[in-house]
This record gives sequence, structure tokens and C-alpha cells, in this order.
Amino acid sequence: MHIEREQVGSDVVLKVAGRLDTPNAKPFEASLMEVVSTTDGGLLVNLAGVDYVSSSGLRALLVAGKAMRSAKRKLTLSSLQPQIREVFDISGFSTLFEIS
Amino acid sequence: MPAPTASSLISCLDVQARIDDITKATGWLGALAEAEAWPQATRFALELSLEEALTNVVSYGFRDSDAVPRIRIECHRLPEGRIAVRLIDNGVPFDPTTIAEPEVPASIEDARIGGHGIQLMRNFLESLAYAREGGENHLTLVAGRPD
Repeated sequence: MHIEREQVGSDVVLKVAGRLDTPNAKPFEASLMEVVSTTDGGLLVNLAGVDYVSSSGLRALLVAGKAMRSAKRKLTLSSLQPQIREVFDISGFSTLFEIS
Repeated sequence: MPAPTASSLISCLDVQARIDDITKATGWLGALAEAEAWPQATRFALELSLEEALTNVVSYGFRDSDAVPRIRIECHRLPEGRIAVRLIDNGVPFDPTTIAEPEVPASIEDARIGGHGIQLMRNFLESLAYAREGGENHLTLVAGRPD
């Protein structure tokens, strides 16, 4: 897994590549929560480079999503590959997150 | 769960009860998928389901057990292009097929953390079967039904 961080105005963009699986879930969650706790704008997670996601990866996004929602901040996901989109659809996550 | 009929064992792998060995297991399965030229959907279904099942075993299977962990993964070729992955462990009895799926939440505030693994397995696999045999959990994942 590889994560690139970019500041766009008051928002942060995280470009994620690789596998969002169980071994990578903790560092992925830590990267998301680091943005949540150290910035105060929106967060865009670009998943174009992610070719695999399991429930552990979903869990990390949900933890960050809940934290952003309670802080009344916007978390957006973008550029999901078709198989990743299918995982989001099956788990109901497509309706929980704003996806562009 | 009866043994898959007319199956042939392609390969097997022993792993330790640790998170890092999940990467070893999915890597092993990915290499088999390449060697056997499985369709992408079959590979994804089995890799994802093996990870979900193995994550449960590694995280909870031996937490309340004095047993020395033994975890074995077998891959069988079935008729008509189907593939079976069997996960055998001597952890505490756990039948994931009985786990209820999380309800679809109305909002992210209501969303429950966890329980999505079994939901994904049921959706991507053709069948998911459990048996407790000889003090071991036997979980069989089947995918690859021809279109």
C-alpha cells in the first residue's frame, strides 16, 4: 500500500494505491485519522490505485467517516475501480459515503 | 461439510496464527490463480473470502484456547471449473455461516463497525460451508461457477 498526501486549499487529498487488506488496514486507518486530527477541512480519498479491498479496509474508512461526520466535515471517496465499487455496493457503503 | 466430490488437491499451505501470515496465504492463492489461469472473478472471490475467514481465525480462534495453533489451507480443483479453498484450524469452534449480516444502516452514524466480512463472502462465493470435525473447524469456500 502506498499513500500520497496533497493539500488543496483547506482540504486534504489522499491518493491511495495497492491493497486495503487486513495487514494494511491499521496503517491506512492511521493515515486517515492523522488527517482527521491534524487538519480541519475536507478529506478526499482517491482510490484509483486500489485494486483490492476487504472488510478490514472498509472498517478503516468507516472509522474515519464517523469521525469526520461528528466533526461536521466532508469525507469524499473517488475513482473506485469496478470490483472495489462492487464491494462497496454489497456492504451498503456506497450509500454511506459520498462517492465521486 | 462433506468433502467436495471428484476433487483433486492442487496445493496446501500451513500458516501461523498471525496477521502477517494473511499476506502469505493470499499471495499463495494469487500464485495458484496465475498458474491455473482462473478467471479474475474467481480469484477475487476466493482471495477476499480466504482473507476474511483467516482474519477471523487469526484474531479470535486462539484467544480463548490453550491449543498450539494449527492452521492449514487446501486448494482443490472441482468439476466444471469450480475451485474450493478449505480452511482447517484447531481453534475454538466458530461457524461463520451462522453470523447475521449487518442491517443496511440509514446513515454513517448508525453504521455498525464490523460484520461485513461474512456479507462479502456470501455474495462473492457460490457456496460457504462449515463443519466441526475432530476438534477442528473446516470451512469450505467454493467459487468459479461457469456462466
